[in-house]
Formats: sequence, C-alpha cells, structure tokens
Amino acid sequence: MPVTPVYIICSPRPLVGKTLIARLLSEFLLLKNGTVNSFDINLKEPSLLDYLPGTTETADVIDTYGKMQLMDRLIVDDGIAKVIDLGFHAFDEFFKMTGEIGFLKEATRRHVAPIILFVADIDRVSARAFPMLQQQIPPNALITIDNEHVVRGELPTAMEAGRVLRISALPTFLKTYVDRLSFSFTGYLRNEKDSSTELHQWIRRNYSSFRDLELSLLLQGRRPLLAPPDS
Amino acid sequence: MAKPVVIVVGADKGGVGKTTVSRTLLDYFSANNVRTRAFDSEFPRGTLKRFHPDVTEIVDMTTTSDQMKIFDTLNAGTSVTVIDVRAGLLSPALASLRDIGFLDAAKSGQITFAVFHILGPSIASLDEIAETANFMIGAKYFLVKNFINDTQFFQWDQATYNSYFHRIKDATDLTIPKLNEMAYEQVEVSSVPFLKFVANKGTNDEAANYSFVLRGYVRHWLANVWSEFDRIKLTDLVGAGKPMTRSGEK
Repeated sequence: MPVTPVYIICSPRPLVGKTLIARLLSEFLLLKNGTVNSFDINLKEPSLLDYLPGTTETADVIDTYGKMQLMDRLIVDDGIAKVIDLGFHAFDEFFKMTGEIGFLKEATRRHVAPIILFVADIDRVSARAFPMLQQQIPPNALITIDNEHVVRGELPTAMEAGRVLRISALPTFLKTYVDRLSFSFTGYLRNEKDSSTELHQWIRRNYSSFRDLELSLLLQGRRPLLAPPDS
Repeated sequence: MAKPVVIVVGADKGGVGKTTVSRTLLDYFSANNVRTRAFDSEFPRGTLKRFHPDVTEIVDMTTTSDQMKIFDTLNAGTSVTVIDVRAGLLSPALASLRDIGFLDAAKSGQITFAVFHILGPSIASLDEIAETANFMIGAKYFLVKNFINDTQFFQWDQATYNSYFHRIKDATDLTIPKLNEMAYEQVEVSSVPFLKFVANKGTNDEAANYSFVLRGYVRHWLANVWSEFDRIKLTDLVGAGKPMTRSGEK
C-alpha cells in the first residue's frame, strides 16, 4: 500500500525560493493525483495561499493550538499528499516541536512519509540548520534543494552528502512571468503548444524530478522506512 | 519478605503540583512492574483517585482510623505505598508519623521511607524546607523543583538559591520540567493516567482520540520526569532493581 507523503519545504533563510518550489510541487501533485493539501506557514513572505487558494490553507506553529491544527492533520494516512511551505521564521520552532512530539516515529507507524526538502543556501544560518536536520531526519527523507538562483555555484560540502534535487535558474524575465499570481505551471504546460520553450522544459524537468522523488517514496513504502537517527 | 516502602508526596503550600508528581510516580512504578497502592488525602473528593482509581483510596489523614488503614497494612504484600498528602497537611502528617513511631521504624531500617517535598517557585514554598527537614532523619528526602511556570527557582540569585537548596545535608534535588499547558489540560479533561494518554487510551483501555501533538508533548515530558526518577535510582530505593528499558525515550 503506498504511503501518504508529507513534503516539508523549508529553510531558515528568507527568499530562497521555498514558495516557488511549494507551488511547483503542489501543482505537480494536483496534476498527477487530482488532489493535494497544501499548508502555508509562511505569512511573512510571498505566500502560497495567494497562488493556490483552492488547495492551500494557512497554518501556524506559534502556539500549541496552531500546532495541533496542523500536525494532527499531517499525521493522517488519508492517501492525500501534503505540501508544507514552512516560512523561515517558523523553521526552528517547527523542528523543535517535531523532535519533541516524535513526529517521524509516529509517521512511520501510521504509514505517513515525511520528506524534508531543505532549500540550501551558503550562509552560516543554513550551515548550522542542516546538521540539526540530519540529526533528526533519516537520510532517505532529507533532500537538499539546490536552487541555482540562490546558490549560484557549488553547494556547501555537507549538503552535498545526501540526495540533492536541482532547480535550475530561470532568466529574470521568465522569473517575473512565473511570479505573477495568476500564473499556473500546469496551466502553462496545457496551453503552450510549443514544448521547446525554456519555461516549458524547465517545468517538465522539475515535474520529472518530483516524479522520481515520488517513485523512490513508493519503493520505500514497500519496505520499512529507516528509523530516525536518534531512535 | 521485602521491606515495606512508603513514599509521601506533599507540601504545605497549595498548587505546587503534588498530585501531578504522584501521578508520574504511579505511572513510573506501573511501567516498571512495581506493585503499588496509593492513598489520596484530598478528602472527601480526591484528585489522584480520579486518575488512578484502581490503586487509590481516599483517606482522611487527620483521623486515627484512616491512619491505621494506611500504616497498619504496610506488610500486606504491596511493595510500595504512595501517599499524596494534601496542601497544608505535610507538617502535621510528618508529626503524626513521628508520634506513632513510624519515623523511628524508618530510622532503624524496618521501613523504607521517602518524602517527595514538592516545591513551587516562591519563597513561601521554599521556606517549608527547613521545617520539613527536621523530620527527615532516617528518610530519603527529595526536594522536587516543580516547574509549573517559567520561573527559575531563584537560580539567577545564587545566594538565595543556595540558602534553600544547599543547606540541607542528604537532601536530593529533583527537577520536574514544565508540561505544555494545553497538554496538561487535555489530560485533566480525559481523567486518565499519563501513560494511558500517551498510548491514546481511555479510562477502560478503549481507543481514544487525543491530539497527536499533545500526546507527543506528554510523552516527551514524562520521559524527562522518569529520567529524573532513574537518576535518583528510584527502583533501587523501592527494591525493584534496575529500571526497565523503555522504548522511544530520550
């Protein structure tokens, strides 16, 4: 039986492309599965809710009530993929909480598969955050996102160790184009007849990466997921 | 036959978390397969009994008949007796124990006697230590710092802190961390032991539907409390050997 994936897109830094990746992934899952539940914990940055209001809910991890509202839904094995756009301001609190409440262990027990998509940057805050995640997250559930628009060069060595998913940079005019609130990646694929355009190929390339990610998740679902490192 | 063990949990000040600590003790002994009975002196209502009805009896410790009910039955086969002494009754209860010769029996080693003195972060609470310590010859005396809020037990003022916590020889400090407020309230509402709450079970072991987040907070907190009990070798104290390995604890 396939597991229910929970994709958590995160970084302790603002403006590294979390919402862009959350949009892409949400639209991919919506296209592939016909359904997705996205959560926007990103109210101080450009918001996923603004882009995908039909499938996105706001959530917060400031107080216990907010944590309950979010986590009690993430832990449900309902077959619907979840995407979390985790704002930089909520990064520490979120992972402190997941560590305390034993989220990963309970998720494994309930056939839910959290996948942490860490958007890399070359600053000290990111360099400190990554080992913290490595301590808490099993290697097969921690994926580094190498957003070329942010890193512009080689990834820090520590972040290269595990699985890396590369997002190539878009030219500025295309970046401005996809940043419009009315823009839809899947809509573009459907409506743009010329499949040789740079944006067309960029979207397809990223959708292919997500499909590979899903496939590896399916394979994981057939054997026990690795236990968290601290268990 | 094993020596009877009596653990008194109390404080003269109210609202410092006596019953909460008693509940963690009962859960700890239950998890370590130590046969335990409890007396709840919050007569006539009883709070401990609400959470652990199977092992708890409500008693009025000011009456001789109920004192007999507790202390004349110590050899009845149960290895540990936990007494949750209600607010204001700790000093009188210890005085009664002295008067009936119980403290002498503890001193001579016939009985293992421990007092968990629950302290809140206030001078009024800490001032009780000196008075209670007078009764502690022959007993294991635990000063339990119960963090019911975000205060620090005057640790920022070393002189004040030392005057309370380092003055009594042979007293052992114990720290009970703060439990998330909503988690605490949810367990209150559900009226089950912490262990059952963590296991998502109701009063009669039926499946419950407690929040996963709140259960997680309680599990984490209980593991921290129990690690303090492990640190003071509580199972050794009650003659049950080493604590059992508990999965999922950090």
